[in-house]
Amino acid sequence: MSMRYPISLLLISFFFLSGCSTNAVKETKGKAFHGMYEEKPKSLLVLPPINESTDADAKLYYSTTVEVPFAQHGFYVFPEKITSDVLKQEGIYDAELLINLPLNKFKDFFGADAVLFTTIKRWDLQYTVLTSKLTVELEAAIKSTSTNQILWKYGGIIEQNLTSSDGGLVANLISTAISSALADYTEYAQRLNYRIVSTSPVGPYHPVYMKDQEQIVIIPAK
Amino acid sequence: MRNKLLVLSAVVTALILSGCATNDKLYDYGDYTETYYDLKKEPTEENIVEWKEELESIRNDSQDDKKRVPPGISANLGYLSLQQQNYAKAIEYFSYEKSIYPESTAFMNRLIQKAEKLQSQGKK
Repeated sequence: MSMRYPISLLLISFFFLSGCSTNAVKETKGKAFHGMYEEKPKSLLVLPPINESTDADAKLYYSTTVEVPFAQHGFYVFPEKITSDVLKQEGIYDAELLINLPLNKFKDFFGADAVLFTTIKRWDLQYTVLTSKLTVELEAAIKSTSTNQILWKYGGIIEQNLTSSDGGLVANLISTAISSALADYTEYAQRLNYRIVSTSPVGPYHPVYMKDQEQIVIIPAK
Repeated sequence: MRNKLLVLSAVVTALILSGCATNDKLYDYGDYTETYYDLKKEPTEENIVEWKEELESIRNDSQDDKKRVPPGISANLGYLSLQQQNYAKAIEYFSYEKSIYPESTAFMNRLIQKAEKLQSQGKK
């Protein structure tokens, strides 16, 4: 009898999970991102993030969270610290300007097979009386430097309630939230990056390279 | 009884899966992101030192564990050496990055050329 409870909980969570995907399509990585398997990009150059959020600092902080998840996924990721300095020297602060331009220059200069566009859709903290809610919404795309094709694209959102453990005054709560907000943003942003990148075919340093075509990804409905 | 077994097997599976997830990471990046974030937020001398020490420890730990040094670590060390005008060391680091990641060759060659140029200017 006592065992029934966790199982029903498990069932409920399955319903929730499946509920999320009712408007979405399940596809194999091979079908959804066939360009990745055809072009086989090995190296990724991280471009400066496109910031659509209301937070001006989001760009600077978010850019520190991109490199590691993509490297762990098997790609050679150019060191963002150095490449962002070089891009700045070349006058490239905004990837917005690059969206419709040919990308072969990045192949010539860096030897990059593909570039990574990232967009910060939301990066904010909302306060209510008892809690504050942190929201980070991101989108990422891998674009080929030889064909200019989008080889992979995915987005995601993370919402986190930040609650104070001492249950003290509201003022106290808000100041705690503010002081921890900067660090929390990047922590959750990186967690979200890991989730987003997991939908991409893996890179050449990963053990299942070119063997993950049959893995299922959920493509959200437009 | 059946339920108990079911739950037990679920728990075991979860443990196995979580075990895989942690061991599955290709690289040990230590506190790379945290120290990089601190450096971007406040580029103080102290944070530069912290970042450099973290890069060195990632490099040493990976080599001790017989794992490949993660992408970018050696290049970042080279870049720091370049900024500190230790050109010979910079070239050594850039060459190491190139040797373990051939994808970085074009970019590392550019950085090596830059270091060599600065080195020869310094000697004059």
